[in-house]
Amino acid sequence: MMRAKTIRRLIVIIVLVLLLILILTPLWWAIVLSFDRAATTALPPFSWLPHTPTTFNYKAAQRLINLPRYYLNTLIVTTVNTVVSVFFAMMCGYAFAKGRFPGKKVLYIFMLAVMMVPFESRLVPLYILYRDMGLLNTWWPLILGQFAYVYGVFFARQNIATIPNSIIESVYLDGGGVWRVFFTMVLPLSKPVIATLSILQFIAHWNSYLWPLVAIRDSSKQMISVGVALFNAQQDSIYFGPRMAVAVLSAIPLTIVFLFLQKYIVESIAVSGIKQ
Amino acid sequence: MSTKDRRIRNLKKQLRWYPFLIISLAALVLFVYIPMFNTARYSLYDISIVGAGNETFIGLKNYRTLLGQSRFLRALGNTFALTLMGLVTIPLGFFLAVLINSLGRGRTQAFCRIGFYLPNIITGISVILMFQAVLQGEGGLLNTFLSFLFRRKISIGWISDIRYSKIGATILWCWMNMGYSMLMNLASLQAIPSELYEASEIDGASAWDKVRYITAPLMKNCFTFLLVTGVINGLSRFTDLFVLGSNSSAGLPGGTLQSILMYIYQFSFEVPSHGISSAGSMILFALVFFFTMINVKLTGFLEDEEEVG
Repeated sequence: MMRAKTIRRLIVIIVLVLLLILILTPLWWAIVLSFDRAATTALPPFSWLPHTPTTFNYKAAQRLINLPRYYLNTLIVTTVNTVVSVFFAMMCGYAFAKGRFPGKKVLYIFMLAVMMVPFESRLVPLYILYRDMGLLNTWWPLILGQFAYVYGVFFARQNIATIPNSIIESVYLDGGGVWRVFFTMVLPLSKPVIATLSILQFIAHWNSYLWPLVAIRDSSKQMISVGVALFNAQQDSIYFGPRMAVAVLSAIPLTIVFLFLQKYIVESIAVSGIKQ
Repeated sequence: MSTKDRRIRNLKKQLRWYPFLIISLAALVLFVYIPMFNTARYSLYDISIVGAGNETFIGLKNYRTLLGQSRFLRALGNTFALTLMGLVTIPLGFFLAVLINSLGRGRTQAFCRIGFYLPNIITGISVILMFQAVLQGEGGLLNTFLSFLFRRKISIGWISDIRYSKIGATILWCWMNMGYSMLMNLASLQAIPSELYEASEIDGASAWDKVRYITAPLMKNCFTFLLVTGVINGLSRFTDLFVLGSNSSAGLPGGTLQSILMYIYQFSFEVPSHGISSAGSMILFALVFFFTMINVKLTGFLEDEEEVG
């Protein structure tokens, strides 16, 4: 009985490991190609290790695309967006969880209803709006929309509602107001939800593609996702090595962040149900 | 203290909450509600570029044009087909989750959870670049693998042959989304109390009985959630198909990979015809709205508003 169980467990592990190898092989192969001189101007047959090891593809990529610039741009915009969206979501969440004021319910529904309006169906009017404000080809179109992070408001409200009112009363008794409650009580006590929302927002903004593509024309101001895709489209399609080198370089930071924070990321996604 | 004083004090107490909301509310009005209203408005006009003059009200003519145009209907059909095919991530994720769950909590399980979720996290543009090599007809990884499996040379153009392009795009989609499906399934499986299984074992239930009478009914919510969100994500699919086609909204090869959103993009920015693209946006909006309503109902997003009231 015990042995049958051990054997079954072993079989499951073997199946899972084989599947994992199958799924992760494309990643490995991309890394191999990026270090393979044979891949520079052709697609060599599959191999577990480079045919002719080299760092030439990386040097070629370095000349063809200004990755550090894209990284810097994306890091700045992504960080600003994450901080802005999560902070304002916390503010709204606090008001909706603990506030008493007329119109609360209506305003809450007014906010959450936005979830039913996909961003993609507003592309043209938003483009026109920013064009008329003269803000196209700047980072403002990427940032301004982040002042209302509706999913965040929902999760923030849910979490802040669980903070006992007695703690908040104690601040009032000390003569503090709602702002002091927010900064000295609500924010420190909401670290887990702030972390969750920040992780989700950071990944989402890092990967966003369509809106930067529409709003930004100058490649010096562009985000890494669009920059890499444009580079990919401009190269001769047989330059597999340099293209894979760029793919690997642009995937590295998020993968490292993931490996460090994997426990929290996996938890965040499982809890919220939000993919990225 | 007079009642008037008290009323004023009360009002002041209520007014201090609005500053918390005002900026987000303003952003919503300016960047969501007004633009959405404008999309609806543009869709009723014959406009090539908004603001360039020559705007004639034409009622629902843009919609009639779209629904009678084979290119738009093809984009619609492509999107539905790709969305349906993409739903295969749900059973795949469930299968993986059952295997991973059977390992019991511990290091091995944690390792598998990270490993299978890893592809999800690098769902940047880099993955699409990698898959251009994987799905290549000549020398691509998938064909190499299939040739090895079937012991004969297979060279299918997964992203260049119109007969296979949707399958190729679905393979990419599965690779990018399966980890998410696995994670949601696993979280849901682990929420099932183990007492239920133990009790059924005492009653002499077989493994199949357990799946049939305990797992499946308790997983229903998870499946529905994944189904609805899968449909919503599928309907607004854009990035991977756009980049696969070398940053073109034409939906290469032969338009078989043009989604609704790519069609909208094409007539918004490449060949501006804002009236038409706005009508297309409204159709996309209606579809997403419908499925989001279902989702809101299922997940109870608005349900606990009683305590807010």
